[in-house]
Amino acid sequence: MSGGTRLENANPVIFQRSGERLLTAADEDEDVHDPIDDREIFDLIRSINDPEHPLSLEELNVVEQVRVKVNDAESTVSVQFTPTIPHCSMATLIGLSVKVKLLRSLPDRFKIDVHITPGTHASEEAVNKQLADKERVAAALENSSLLEVVNQCLSTRSI
Amino acid sequence: MRGFSSFYMGTMAADSGLLLSLVEEFVSGLQDSKAKDTATAVKDGQFTVLQLVEALGVSLTSSQPHTRARGVQMLSEVLLESYGNLSEKEVEVLIAFYENRLKDHYVVTSPVLQGLRALTKCKTLPPGSAVSMLKSLFQDVHVQSLMLVERSCVYNMLINLMETREAELKGLGADFVFGFVQSMDGERDPRNLLLAFQIAKNIIHRGYDLGKFTEELFEVTSCYFPIDFTPPPSDAHGITKEELIEALRAVLTGTPKFAEFLLPLIIEKLDSDVQSAKLDSLQTLTACVSRYEHKDLAEFLEGLWASLRREVFQTSSEKIESAGLAALSALTSCLSRSVLNSDSEDSLSTFLEIVLKDCKHHLCEPDLKLVWPSAKLLQAACSASSRASHIITSAVMPSLIEQYDNRTQCSHRRTLLEVVQRFIQSVKNSQSSENEESVFLAFRQSLCSMVFSALSETNSSLQITATSVLTSLAQQTGLLLDADIELAVDHLIRLLLTEEDDRVSCAVVECAGALAELHPAAFITKLIPRLKRELFSEPIEEGDENRRTSELHSHHAVRQRCLSALAAISMQPSVVQESTPVLLEVLSSAHTGTVRFSVEEMVLACRSLQRIAEQVRDTEETGQCFHDIIIPRLLSLALQAALQDQGSSGCLSPIVEEVVLSAMVPVISTSCSRLQPMLAGQTASRAVSLFLDGDVSFLPDNSFPSNIQLLKKQQGDSWTQSQMVCLLMGCVSSLPRSVEVPQIDRLLSQLEEMSCSCNHPLSYMSAAKCFASLVNKRPLGDCLDSLIQRMMNRVCSELDSASSPIRIQAFTLMIWVAKALLLRYHPLSTALTDKLLSLLDDADLGVMAADGFSLLMCDSVDVLNRGCHADIRIMYRQRFFRENSAKLVQGFNAAPQEKKPNYLKALSNIVNKLPKQVQVTELPALLSLLLEALSCPDQGVQLSTLSCLEPVLIDPPAALIQQLEALVSRLLALVGSSVMNVRIASLRCIHALSRFPVHEILPFRARVLKALARPLDDKKRLVRSEAVQARGEWFLLGSPGGR
Amino acid sequence: MKEALSLLKRISAHPDSRCWFVSWSPSGTLLASCGGDKAIRIWGREGDSWICKSVLQDGHQRTVRKVAWSPCGNYLASASFDATTCIWKKKEDDFESLTVLEGHENEVKCVAWAPSGNLLATCSRDKSVWVWEVDEEDEYECVTVVNSHTQDVKHVVWHPTQELLASASYDNTICIYKEEDDDWECRATLQGHTSTVWSLSFDATGNRLASCSDDRTVKIWKEFPNESGQSDLSWMCVCTLTGYHGRTVYDVAWCRLTGALATACGDDAVRVFKEDTSGDPDQPVFSLAAQVNKAHSQDVNCVAWNPKEPGLLASCSDNGEIAIWRFQEQ
Repeated sequence: MSGGTRLENANPVIFQRSGERLLTAADEDEDVHDPIDDREIFDLIRSINDPEHPLSLEELNVVEQVRVKVNDAESTVSVQFTPTIPHCSMATLIGLSVKVKLLRSLPDRFKIDVHITPGTHASEEAVNKQLADKERVAAALENSSLLEVVNQCLSTRSI
Repeated sequence: MRGFSSFYMGTMAADSGLLLSLVEEFVSGLQDSKAKDTATAVKDGQFTVLQLVEALGVSLTSSQPHTRARGVQMLSEVLLESYGNLSEKEVEVLIAFYENRLKDHYVVTSPVLQGLRALTKCKTLPPGSAVSMLKSLFQDVHVQSLMLVERSCVYNMLINLMETREAELKGLGADFVFGFVQSMDGERDPRNLLLAFQIAKNIIHRGYDLGKFTEELFEVTSCYFPIDFTPPPSDAHGITKEELIEALRAVLTGTPKFAEFLLPLIIEKLDSDVQSAKLDSLQTLTACVSRYEHKDLAEFLEGLWASLRREVFQTSSEKIESAGLAALSALTSCLSRSVLNSDSEDSLSTFLEIVLKDCKHHLCEPDLKLVWPSAKLLQAACSASSRASHIITSAVMPSLIEQYDNRTQCSHRRTLLEVVQRFIQSVKNSQSSENEESVFLAFRQSLCSMVFSALSETNSSLQITATSVLTSLAQQTGLLLDADIELAVDHLIRLLLTEEDDRVSCAVVECAGALAELHPAAFITKLIPRLKRELFSEPIEEGDENRRTSELHSHHAVRQRCLSALAAISMQPSVVQESTPVLLEVLSSAHTGTVRFSVEEMVLACRSLQRIAEQVRDTEETGQCFHDIIIPRLLSLALQAALQDQGSSGCLSPIVEEVVLSAMVPVISTSCSRLQPMLAGQTASRAVSLFLDGDVSFLPDNSFPSNIQLLKKQQGDSWTQSQMVCLLMGCVSSLPRSVEVPQIDRLLSQLEEMSCSCNHPLSYMSAAKCFASLVNKRPLGDCLDSLIQRMMNRVCSELDSASSPIRIQAFTLMIWVAKALLLRYHPLSTALTDKLLSLLDDADLGVMAADGFSLLMCDSVDVLNRGCHADIRIMYRQRFFRENSAKLVQGFNAAPQEKKPNYLKALSNIVNKLPKQVQVTELPALLSLLLEALSCPDQGVQLSTLSCLEPVLIDPPAALIQQLEALVSRLLALVGSSVMNVRIASLRCIHALSRFPVHEILPFRARVLKALARPLDDKKRLVRSEAVQARGEWFLLGSPGGR
Repeated sequence: MKEALSLLKRISAHPDSRCWFVSWSPSGTLLASCGGDKAIRIWGREGDSWICKSVLQDGHQRTVRKVAWSPCGNYLASASFDATTCIWKKKEDDFESLTVLEGHENEVKCVAWAPSGNLLATCSRDKSVWVWEVDEEDEYECVTVVNSHTQDVKHVVWHPTQELLASASYDNTICIYKEEDDDWECRATLQGHTSTVWSLSFDATGNRLASCSDDRTVKIWKEFPNESGQSDLSWMCVCTLTGYHGRTVYDVAWCRLTGALATACGDDAVRVFKEDTSGDPDQPVFSLAAQVNKAHSQDVNCVAWNPKEPGLLASCSDNGEIAIWRFQEQ
């Protein structure tokens, strides 16, 4: 982020991070099968970096656990995300990061749907359609400048 | 030249044949070594330098520049070796010669400079020669047209002269600075830059007159700012970017005279997109303002503030943020140093007004992003000085308090409270003296009601934050009144008794501990009695089953919190005097059955006593308390329980439970390890006479039988008395080495007997440990040797007889004594470890022997550690490893297939505990064996090997990289293990591999990504989570924006 | 019903990648596949097994999205995300790169050979459809660029006998083109799908066109004589298959030998529909004749009927596999 650039939304609302998931006895029991649940999916995406702010998607409330639905048995995941402002130009990029994170982190049996929370973005339908088009997603990930931004969103922050 | 020739003509030496041939061979024969020979001869006094000059005469006046150069070179090389022997007169002549030669052909310049450099090192430099040398240099040589080495020569001359001829150089006035500026202008080599920066730094710090060349000196150095240098891959000089940064920074920040140039430059560079440039600028700013006065800053304050604010508001990097905050702090503290006088404006308050104007309103938006950067900026300014903290807190606190009162959302209140908390902490740093009145005094009332209201909320995060604010307030000198403390204690009691959230009760306990240290009285009068009442009340026995269970459950939780609170508050002796009797009463009531306590609660009571023993301040006063009361009470209770007639009541006292008794041991051993020598000695002799002779005179409730024999074999293998030996271990194993244990030989022999004959594990194990820890501290000598020898014979004969019923006991004694001897480098330890190695092939004890290596290498918790004053030599692990790794490898190769895992396990147990550097150096030799261990079917071996590999992988040695193929294959195979922990550990190793040099691991990327797809669907969440992290990192490898 | 479609073979065709498309050679003896690994593979049957005859690498810098055989079977065209189309020429048992067609601004999504073999069509995310002419010297020349769609063009397909071209798009429509005065023009825009149209297939006669879409339906379109007598063509939707597909339908294939209609779907299933021939040809009825639910472990991207052997079906998937099926009517 260069000194001179103006952010679209310089002072966004910040939300508290949820704590680490507490370890249960069942988690450590070899014989128990732990199903993939909403919280697990949420944990995958909450720490994704926002492309603009030094904040996570969770801190900006772009992703929330209540907007994550997973059905382990049927192998489906659906995530809704909420851009910080209705005209956020980063919406597609954020959605793409969420989708890529899930593609890299979930077993390939899963069908992954990523949408904008209804009514929260001016170009909701267009963004949703793009994110659902796997051919466009595949092509986007072969575009190195786009992939670079996505990878940065998915990196653990350093410097 | 003429003067020079006349000089040497007159001093021609007779014996010059050898010298002439040396000169001849060097100058025309091009034999470089002859210069060295000549130098040696000069140093030995065979020739003088002036004789050399005479001999060189023809070459020096030759019409061929190359011959002249060669001649000068020989002279210079000799001077470099022998400058220490020159007389002032000689130096004077030589300088005149060299100065003259500076005007000569360019091929001569290099050796001339070498010679001059040698002369600058002379102690005998005649007055005025430094100045004349430099004048000629600056006048006749264009430094930047010279080669790298020659430039370096010039800088070194300057450095040498600055060391010895400071006054003379200063006499040159600003001409010196000008000459230097011209010399370094355009320098590009990092090595030379380091020298040039050093000269510039000397000029500034040693008060040379900059005259009208201040800006020139700044320009010629600041053009390198910020340093952008990456050492070439095979850099032989080892110059780092950091060195250059530091050297340049010392120049730029060295004088306030640079302020008018440096500050605009910093503002400009802060605008850069390059992170390292920003960081360097901020750090340079922090460094320079420490030398500045407010008037140096005045005209740049607004610009600096705008940049700092932007960096903190918009940054994506924590490093830059904290550098920005540090710079603001330094800036504020510079302004705070200005002396106030009536006619000038107060630049500190003017500056802070701007800061407040830009930041304060963000504090009123506790849900927005900028609340934190704003708070941090204000706090950074606040921490700079006492005056700054007054200005800022008086501006900020009222509105924060008002906000808090008006906001209803817990998250907003919590943010506000945390902001307040950080203000209190930032002020703590700026308070100049302990006695200074707190800047928060004016807000005491409001702050207290804020904290108490937050403590009364149901939101746990808010409560937790409130406890830390309360702690901070209590730490402000004289801020809280007694009444406030009492109220605080009431709140803490209420939360302790009712709050079920673990995080809250932890915070409450911690807060109680901090407050009790500062204000013990309220805790003694209010909290301890209240907790005691709660501890000794019994759960209500009414209602249905479910209600009773949940009642019991919460009752237990309350007791748990009471017990840990009692430990936390016991820092001051006055508190300890009141809290420990309560804890002892828990144990005695449980023993007599007057109040029921669960075993777990008894263990917790012991833990609390142990914690008090560890943390308590005044060892004298409280030592007495432990010695006189606590240890005798514990021994007495345990003895009563052990002797209790089982027949009458039908059930045993809970004190004989192994967990309870084992929890008492560290109470005793911790307090013994910290006792005054006299008290410690007393405790030891009391304990020994109790155990050897049944002397119970020092115990309270003295109604014991007279014929107690605790260390003798009991009838019918009863263990209630024999296991008391663990308390003996507590008493005598942790004493300082200076304390003598009475009747030691008798004691050792009975302990040995018990450890070899008893069938009760706690008893024989404790006897063995006690024996071993006494052996560890026994003075060297025949007495000790024969003791060990006797024990070894006995143990070995039992171990060698496959049918012996006490092989396990013998093994236990052996391994503990082996540890005791190993720790102190006793020569007999080898015999024991060899025995241990031989047992790796044993059908019954093989696995135990392999695990035994872990016992040898690990720090033991209860005995033979530093806390117990054991005799432990540094690096005993490395030594053990060195002596035994080859034997293990040999044993492995010779062992039958089914025994091999034992060797691998033993090896990985050892390697696991070696320090990182040792692992790295030893790894190449062991790598193939460790890789073999990874494919060993024994899951314990796999796990132990993985855990020893993981830390090594963080910074992989070359040997590991060569074996990457084998390593990757084996790790990937283990990802499919049936054991969860093996899967987790192997995934962590694969994660660590992702940080290897990219070009080494890139070939494995596709394979790893594919293999890690499967564990993403593991049935265990913990495994999936490791797989996700590892796979995520491997995806980033070789990918844009990744790595 | 399940027995109607039986698995003959699974081939791990593009391991660690996705297999986007498969195409039978006109003689039905070879199968070409392409995928995310930037490669094209040629498969041939030897007894019961399928052997990889050649791998065409280094032609493309990015994903190869589709491949098409020339009607003579001697050329292969490949469309790639690298914005180029590659023409490969068969040489003995191998293929060599003949030429690279450049011009599209970004990803080329599809390539198709006209029945004559003289024309080639390509389409791209740049919203355009290009028609190329091939001469005897294997020289390719772009004759037309048509910009009738408002979004990416996903697929192009030629009429089985006439020089008529159809394209499917992200803008939810299908366009039909014909040449007029040396220029190709869009003569009909078929609207009806409510989301991206992914693929198209003509029946054996070319009178009807099947389309499949992200709206989870398959539609059958039929050409009707133009009443106004103008040059525009009139195509109407005569049938919509809804309720069968659980997610996006990525491909549809109409068998020219049996008339069976196969679909590839994002719900991992392969389905085959048969037409009830007794009905009104203007209101055809299709019924599900076979369905394999877990035909692949991931999305099915493509289905292709063998042009010579009735009932032989190939499918491919995101997991990189090809499956060969036998469809037999009960």
